[in-house]
Amino acid sequence: MKYLTGRAATALLFLCLAVSPLFAGNSYDRTFREASDLMAQGELDQALSVLQNIPPPSGDEEGTAFISARMQSARIHASRNDNGKALEACREVLNLYPDNSEALNFEAALERKEIPRWRSFLADCVKFLPVLGKGAMMTLLLVLCTMLISPFGGLLIALGRISTIPPLSGLCWFIIWFFRGTPLLLQLFFIYYGLPSAGITLSPMLSAVIGLGLNYSAYLGEIIRGAIQSIDHGQMEAAKAIGMNYRQAMFRIIIPQTYKRLMPPIGNEFIALIKDTALVSTIAMVELMRSADQMFNTYFNITALVLAAIIYLAMTTLFTFVFEKIEYRAGIYEQR
Amino acid sequence: MSKDNEPLLALEKITKRYRNIVAVNRINLEVFPGEKLVIIGPSGSGKSTLLRSINLLEEIDEGVIRFEGREVGYTTKNGRRHHDTPSAICALRAEIGMVFQHFHLFPHMTALGNVMEGPLTVQRKPSEEARRIAAGMLEKVGLSDKMDVFPATLSGGQKQRVAIARALAMHPRIMLFDEPTSALDPELVGEVFETIHKLADEGMTMVIVTHHMGFARELADRVIFMESGSFLAEGTPVELFGANQTNERIRSFLNRLI
Repeated sequence: MKYLTGRAATALLFLCLAVSPLFAGNSYDRTFREASDLMAQGELDQALSVLQNIPPPSGDEEGTAFISARMQSARIHASRNDNGKALEACREVLNLYPDNSEALNFEAALERKEIPRWRSFLADCVKFLPVLGKGAMMTLLLVLCTMLISPFGGLLIALGRISTIPPLSGLCWFIIWFFRGTPLLLQLFFIYYGLPSAGITLSPMLSAVIGLGLNYSAYLGEIIRGAIQSIDHGQMEAAKAIGMNYRQAMFRIIIPQTYKRLMPPIGNEFIALIKDTALVSTIAMVELMRSADQMFNTYFNITALVLAAIIYLAMTTLFTFVFEKIEYRAGIYEQR
Repeated sequence: MSKDNEPLLALEKITKRYRNIVAVNRINLEVFPGEKLVIIGPSGSGKSTLLRSINLLEEIDEGVIRFEGREVGYTTKNGRRHHDTPSAICALRAEIGMVFQHFHLFPHMTALGNVMEGPLTVQRKPSEEARRIAAGMLEKVGLSDKMDVFPATLSGGQKQRVAIARALAMHPRIMLFDEPTSALDPELVGEVFETIHKLADEGMTMVIVTHHMGFARELADRVIFMESGSFLAEGTPVELFGANQTNERIRSFLNRLI
């Protein structure tokens, strides 16, 4: 048995050797093999001169070997930080095949390497910032719209929740339960992709504002309810004692006292909101995240994402300071 | 004060229960215009509950409250008791001033703002007039110099005087004081008593719940001793605090306080 296997293997080997010239044809396999052997031994100069032996294709000859050889040379030059010679090799290919993507990409990469890192970063900034800026404006618009809507929505939900009318408080409980209990992404999908089947088609911007507005109203509703209920019950009694009705007592006495304690949790929510707006990139809205993603996918350049992160940070920082300022102003009466 | 007048406030068989505890038990009370009535008694005897029932901060379970002869708070239709409309209840409260043990000043408003709030929001007076009324009331309680100050910076006594001014700004027909000095440091009690005295001298009708027997003796036309939701004794200060008080319960209560 062992004997038979050995014989078969030997036969197979001979067969392969016999057939191989048929496949190699007129190729430069041996040259490449020689070059890679030399490279493995560290003889880069010799490898380069061997690769140089492969001439440009003449007539209708195929140029694959030539391209491979020159690109290989370019890589060797680049690995020795000889960008000039590497570029030369690249351009040799591009002269004959101007559309060759490998050569084009390698040339671009080499050219980037030629200029200092900070300058290439600046160049990227100049390239990406106008697009990202536009996206950031959309994000900001979306954030401001939601910030304007959700406190009022939240107040309505909070007042509904603490009202003594059972259907109203039940409805508000349901709204909070639903919007807090399902993912924002799902709600956005439902509004943008789902509502059209019910005959309601909304623009991405409107869908985003409605989705974020409802979601944040639900969250703020609970925060506002907590703040209202945390105000000393004596305040309501004192307001009633001078003859105020419920509405007057709420809006003149109770709610103004909640502002200071509302600011930290609402600030928190709004910071989360700035980042949550990135979710609306999924419903065809071109805001900061989407712009950054597009840039990244077009240029494979991480700078686009870095810049987007910086813009998000700038926005959250700005709002953090604004909220701190408002909190301070809202609580000024408590200072002794 | 003469008892021939119509009573300003009349309570008939008022009962208030908390679950199965009877806080106020079938109490009858008449307060006449200009009268100074002081209610004393141990903690938990229902004094505060009774006081708070008068301006409907507590919902009573049984009985009738009459203010200037008309029934307030509840209407009886076909043998069933209904709440008055919210606006009727607010109108009643606007005529009854109330001062709380813990002041309950509005912390987000200045002293002047606190006093203006009633005339401005409830009586819908123009802000200039409300400001004038409020400034006058603050002057009356001796706090003209604290008008633009927030409550957080005031002492307890000053806070309570602002609270009194806030109630007075509504020009109430009657003032209710719910232990107005119990939350104050002893040295601040005097200024609040002084203010209440001044008010009494002007002829304000008042019902005061207090633990300060000296104050009660000085000010009251009539003193009521309350215990377990009922009136145990009622009379002039001399009758109640006098040496010939025979009721053992009242004497031991008074002895403990003095």
